[in-house]
Amino acid sequence: MEHERTEKGRSLAFSNMVRSRLGGETITSCYQCGTCASSCPVAKITDKFNPREVIKLSLLGEKEEVLSSDFIWLCCSCYNCQERCPQKVEIADVIYALRNIAFEKGYIPNLYSEFASAIINDGRIAKISKFMEQKRPAIGLPPLQPTGVEALRKILSATGFDKLQKEKEEAP
Amino acid sequence: MNEPKVGVFLSDCGNQLSKILDFDALTDHVKKISGVTLIARSSEFWRGKGLQAIVNAIKDGKINRVVVAESLPKLSEVKIVQAVEESGLNPYLVEVMDLKDHCAWPHRDTPLEATEKAKAMLSGAIERAKLLEPLEKLEFPVLKSTLIIGGGIAGMQAAVDLADLGFEVHLAEREPFLGGLAARAGRFFPTDDCAICIQSSVSDVKTITHTSRKCVYRSGFTEIPHLNILTNSRIVSIEGVPGNYKVTIDKKPRYVSELKCVACDLCTTVCPVEVPDEYNAKLKTRKAIYMNIPNVHPPAYVIDESVCKFHDCAKCVEVCPTNAIELAQKNERTTLNVGSIIVATGFQEFDSSVIKEYHYGDYPNVVTNLELARMIDGFGPTSGMIARPSDHKSAKKIVMIQCVGSRDKRYNSYCSSICCMISLKHAILIKSAYPDTDITICYIDIRTTGRQHEDYYERAREMGIKFVKGRPTEVLRDPETGRLIVDVEDALLGRFLELDADLVVLAPAMVPSEGTKELGQIIELLDEDGFFKEYNAKLRPTETIVRGLYVCGGATFPKDAPTSSLQAHSAALKAAKFMTTGKIVKDQRTAVIDEEYCGDCEFCPVTCPYGAINLVSTDKEHFVAEVSDLMCEGCGVCVGTCPLNAIELRHSRQNQMLAQMKGLMSVNGTSKPLVLAVCCSECGGTSVDSSGMAMMKYPANVRVMKVPCTGILQVHQILEAFKAGAQGVMVVGCKSDGCHYEVGVQKTETKVQLAKTLLKEYGIKPERLVMLNMIYIEGNDFAKAAQAMTDKLEKLGPMQIMGGS
Repeated sequence: MEHERTEKGRSLAFSNMVRSRLGGETITSCYQCGTCASSCPVAKITDKFNPREVIKLSLLGEKEEVLSSDFIWLCCSCYNCQERCPQKVEIADVIYALRNIAFEKGYIPNLYSEFASAIINDGRIAKISKFMEQKRPAIGLPPLQPTGVEALRKILSATGFDKLQKEKEEAP
Repeated sequence: MNEPKVGVFLSDCGNQLSKILDFDALTDHVKKISGVTLIARSSEFWRGKGLQAIVNAIKDGKINRVVVAESLPKLSEVKIVQAVEESGLNPYLVEVMDLKDHCAWPHRDTPLEATEKAKAMLSGAIERAKLLEPLEKLEFPVLKSTLIIGGGIAGMQAAVDLADLGFEVHLAEREPFLGGLAARAGRFFPTDDCAICIQSSVSDVKTITHTSRKCVYRSGFTEIPHLNILTNSRIVSIEGVPGNYKVTIDKKPRYVSELKCVACDLCTTVCPVEVPDEYNAKLKTRKAIYMNIPNVHPPAYVIDESVCKFHDCAKCVEVCPTNAIELAQKNERTTLNVGSIIVATGFQEFDSSVIKEYHYGDYPNVVTNLELARMIDGFGPTSGMIARPSDHKSAKKIVMIQCVGSRDKRYNSYCSSICCMISLKHAILIKSAYPDTDITICYIDIRTTGRQHEDYYERAREMGIKFVKGRPTEVLRDPETGRLIVDVEDALLGRFLELDADLVVLAPAMVPSEGTKELGQIIELLDEDGFFKEYNAKLRPTETIVRGLYVCGGATFPKDAPTSSLQAHSAALKAAKFMTTGKIVKDQRTAVIDEEYCGDCEFCPVTCPYGAINLVSTDKEHFVAEVSDLMCEGCGVCVGTCPLNAIELRHSRQNQMLAQMKGLMSVNGTSKPLVLAVCCSECGGTSVDSSGMAMMKYPANVRVMKVPCTGILQVHQILEAFKAGAQGVMVVGCKSDGCHYEVGVQKTETKVQLAKTLLKEYGIKPERLVMLNMIYIEGNDFAKAAQAMTDKLEKLGPMQIMGGS
């Protein structure tokens, strides 16, 4: 993960912002031992993601770099790092907090945005094709039930998610 | 006691104070106060002619109470009190007030107001003095003997010190041999010498130079006069009071007479029972009759009763040439009476098997630092070879993992402080003996903070020992080759490494030893990490909150041998100081219970930080509190806690405090609202003194009253201050975690909150009452707070009490 450190875009208030979010409270306990990184199955296969570096960049206040990056979206939420962290940093939860902040600032990879649209519209992340519906009885599966998307929409509306997602969709 | 005849002595500090204060006005004011029979003014009253004037007045019978308005009262009071006592007047009938730092210096810009304040402060002091009562000196006997619990490096060193000073010393060790954890370590940093080396006793006649240090076995440790060594012994109970503790000890049978055994080794050759040797990390076996290492102390074998077949075998009895083996020995219970106790129960390695991903206890080739130390030791199970426990073959690739259970919030959040040095020492020793060994140390931070410690780190790098900054996530075992793989990120490179290893050495956290845990059940002074709590890390190290009870070495926190040794000397000195006169001299400024009002509640015994109060049954079928004058430290926190107003502190009785309070409020002379600052006599109070000393300014309407600890205050006394005329009250105590009486200031904070609620009920604005937590260097903050309080009160206007008055 290459990053240029410039004073521009660096905000020491950023780690406080993360701390004040649900899931982000423990970020300042990190002392960079690297247990998370060596525990991470994603980091082992790609150099685009390293949980230790995500925490370090956040603590250094590299707000723009962290929020606009793809890497916070690469965590697979296996919680191995969190289980083994000697400082009880809730690393996977910190990354969720970062994703929430990123989404509010309008940063979300298109794939995730498409998932979000699909959930708001159909209550599913994947479209159900006619072919699939016809195939189900043939392999002994019951027909698909309605998803109860109305209840889901209420939640998404209460949290403001739908509004943010709409802004994202309408953005150029 | 006769009618009070108060002599008032006004010191003008070489005419310095009279530049600010109007001494004629002060004299006129004092003259009008009833009971004052003598007024004198001089440049000082704590030395020379001034002091002589006080002495003469007492001897002539002109006065029987002394009020001195001086500068530097803490200093001058000592001399004045001594002189008063020598003149035949009880020294507790003296009141010394601070004319310079409380009255003149902080208000030098407003001399009129300063004079008015001085008048009020004098009134307060005189009214208090009139009510003072004579108090007696108390003496309690102290036995000149000590019990040291734990025979490791700290306990042994303290024993040598105290025995050399002529005290009777009992040294109790729970294991059959002395030496503790230290002896197993083999070598020590930073001197690289043997762990079993101690500073020898002067009783060894061949020890003629002061450079002498000796192996325990050469030091004649067991032969030191006045030293009674009790191995295989555990503490059952501790009763009694400081100076006279009664300790019950169980001594397990050794089954071998220490007096007869000549350590010839015949017994071990015939013993048929073979078990894993725990002392040597189970890397070899030992017999049922055994010694840890050669020349161990005491130099006598011991029989492990859990595995010996006793009379079904008795082969050792047959071969012993000196008939030293005594299978009929029984458990012996003894009781010791000692004046003081030193706790030196030490620490031990954390059980690393709890951290499953490192597979300690699961993979045989994962060992701990202590186990490695046994391998490095030539007396150890491998005679110095670094072997893989799985096949006893030489280990060529070693990976060390630091901070196993240390700096880990799941287990021990603290840094164990010595493990970096232990690992560096081990790596260097191995590399020196076997240069082709490949050693990698995985660390979070390398901490080498002591004298010469950084040298080890440098030497290790010179020798080619590798360092990886990263805490491994897991130790894996190759299922085919059985070799170990350490999975770690080199955080400096951001690169993942899979380190191949014959042997993985863990550096476990250091945690309280079994002995420390056991003793903690009897002496309940453990901190949140399970170590014994020292009284004050800076000024009272090795002391505990209990008089005559000291603690040293690893029992307080993991530490290296030099620090353990240093602490042992400290604890020994403090114990010696405590015992040397054979008595504790105290005064009677202790709590006293009014049995008529005391009624069965447990507030005071639970609150007293010194365990000085017990409930005792009376013939009236209820319990009353009883204060031990020996244990009471005179803080008065119990007074403030008693819901029935049944406790008083001598010398700070309620009527004395109230009279002073009223005196302080009896004079205003300014247009500003009166403020009463009630300060403790410790850190909180010194912030008030220091603001004056440093000539910081605050308004003169702030009047100062000292109490031993603000914990003595009762809610109704705070309200009394308002009734007496205060428009605002400042309670100045120590920092919340720095109260000299442990819990005093915390209790005060609660009471201040409660008083605020009550003030509201009476229609008084609760912000008229503030609590400050200060220390000496915060004099400036006190001055600012006093100014802010005055400004606030001026804004609020005169106090309106609901329903008039």
